[in-house]
Amino acid sequence: MNDQHSGKFPHLDCAECERRLQDYLDGGLAKPESMQIFLHVRECARCAAELKRLEDLVALLEALPAHEPPRDFDARVLAAVPYASYRAMARLRRARVPVFLEADRLPAWIRSPAVRYGGLAAAAVAAAAAVTDLAPAGVLAIAAVGLVPEAATLLQGLGRRVALAVGQPRNGA
Amino acid sequence: MFDRRADLKTIRRCKLGEEDAFQEILARYRAPIYNLCWRMTRNDEDARDLAQEIFIKTFTLLDRFDEQFAFSSWLFRIATNHCIDHLRRHRLRFLSVERDGGGDDEEAEMQIAAVGPEPDVELERREALERLEEVIGELPPHYRVITLLRHDQQLSYEEIAESLRLPLGTVKARIHRARNMIQQLLAARKYDI
Repeated sequence: MNDQHSGKFPHLDCAECERRLQDYLDGGLAKPESMQIFLHVRECARCAAELKRLEDLVALLEALPAHEPPRDFDARVLAAVPYASYRAMARLRRARVPVFLEADRLPAWIRSPAVRYGGLAAAAVAAAAAVTDLAPAGVLAIAAVGLVPEAATLLQGLGRRVALAVGQPRNGA
Repeated sequence: MFDRRADLKTIRRCKLGEEDAFQEILARYRAPIYNLCWRMTRNDEDARDLAQEIFIKTFTLLDRFDEQFAFSSWLFRIATNHCIDHLRRHRLRFLSVERDGGGDDEEAEMQIAAVGPEPDVELERREALERLEEVIGELPPHYRVITLLRHDQQLSYEEIAESLRLPLGTVKARIHRARNMIQQLLAARKYDI
């Protein structure tokens, strides 16, 4: 039925056109494919009629009349909402801390006692060596690195306590 | 179609127990959910009960709502599952009603009687819409709900995929197939729309 589509858009047969017609109607095809369908439909009466049928169906589907819920609909639903439990839960929610202060934001290996106490021990040894002038250069840097896990854990814990103290519920909700 | 950011703000207020916020959600979604339920059941009483149960369930489970998704998708998922469960539970009753043809015919008569004199074109359009409603009511539930989400609720394919937790390709295929089924049902009854 269709035929000579000129130039850069390859020929499309009716079966292929029909297969892609719904995607075309939904705007779901890439531009070249969409143009193929457009050109085919322009010249093929059967596919044009099929497209028209689909367009009419979609237009009608989107015009289905609305049905109104009964007047007491909201009242019945709202009567069943568990306001009290939401308000009780709200106290807990408001006491939450910023995400970066949540304990699990620090990697577990940093928080592990082995790393923290090991780091402290390494820092202590490095500091002692620095004091006795026996240490090689850069020993203070080693001491500083050793302190990092314990310092990070302590600082985060302190920040969490401050945030919780500041963020206590204010309106008693 | 639905404002995801505005919904999120309202939902957070709901979680604090603010009554106004629940009322706002109802005002936004009452009509879409009720209409979905009505078209799934074609019955006022069932639609009312289902829609109320859906909102009560949603409001009770708000703590489980994952804020990375749209609230509308979550609500439509609950609504879809609830409607399909209802149809499964009442399958026998629906079949017998369809065979009898009683309730639907009466309702159609009442609607036509209430129409009154009007131009032929408008009357034809109303009749076409009634036929279409009738045919939609005969689609298998999964095809019916996806057609309603797309065309009645105007959800995008992506929103439907998120709501129903289906791959995008499956959503498209089901919508296309549902449209074909509607056309076939209309043709089988010699209904011209």
